[in-house]
Amino acid sequence: MKNIKILGTGCAKCKQMESIVRSTIAEMGVEATVEKIEDIEKIMEYNVLVTPVLVIDEEIKIKGFVPSSAQVKALLA
Amino acid sequence: MEVQSVEICPTTTQQWVKKGALLVDVRERDEVATLAYNVPNIVNIPLSEFEERYMELPKDQELVMVCRSGQRSLKATYYLRNQGYTQVVNMQHGIIRWVQKGFPTIGDTSSVIEKSADSGCCGTPSTAKQSCCDTPGSSSTACC
Repeated sequence: MKNIKILGTGCAKCKQMESIVRSTIAEMGVEATVEKIEDIEKIMEYNVLVTPVLVIDEEIKIKGFVPSSAQVKALLA
Repeated sequence: MEVQSVEICPTTTQQWVKKGALLVDVRERDEVATLAYNVPNIVNIPLSEFEERYMELPKDQELVMVCRSGQRSLKATYYLRNQGYTQVVNMQHGIIRWVQKGFPTIGDTSSVIEKSADSGCCGTPSTAKQSCCDTPGSSSTACC
């Protein structure tokens, strides 16, 4: 079971990341929990200056851009 | 040391400036070239360079982080606090509110005013008198 967090303050790119991550997980059939974190204080616990951020099992994998589905697949494989 | 609140408004920022605080503008260079804050002590460290350059900032001086709307500078504020800076706060609402308050700037304010009036708050069309951050009907016209 993977623990996935998407950090973003509600901007369009953050929503796009969430959508791509959720659809990719569904497509791959990966067991994962997905949590969207919008609270700025919680986001800054990860000490990031740009959003959106993709965190997998508490490790920052992507920050500052919307990944392609292929990129997300590679990270979840 | 007493824990400071994270954010202050542009009017309070004026008081901090008079006391010698350093403004840190985290907007990108082209944005600053178009319209800049006009205060005695200010530096520009774009957010895109911030991780590499934040250590240029003094730890023994009060810092007020600023940007266009107050969102980018809030991240930079938390970032600096995570790095051990204690005298750092964010200025809410950025240069948009700063201009609306009539505080000093250098450059073309029309870009800020036109954009905020066109898009309303948070990108949704609205009248200039409405704001998601302020009580409806207040005199403020700013977007968050």
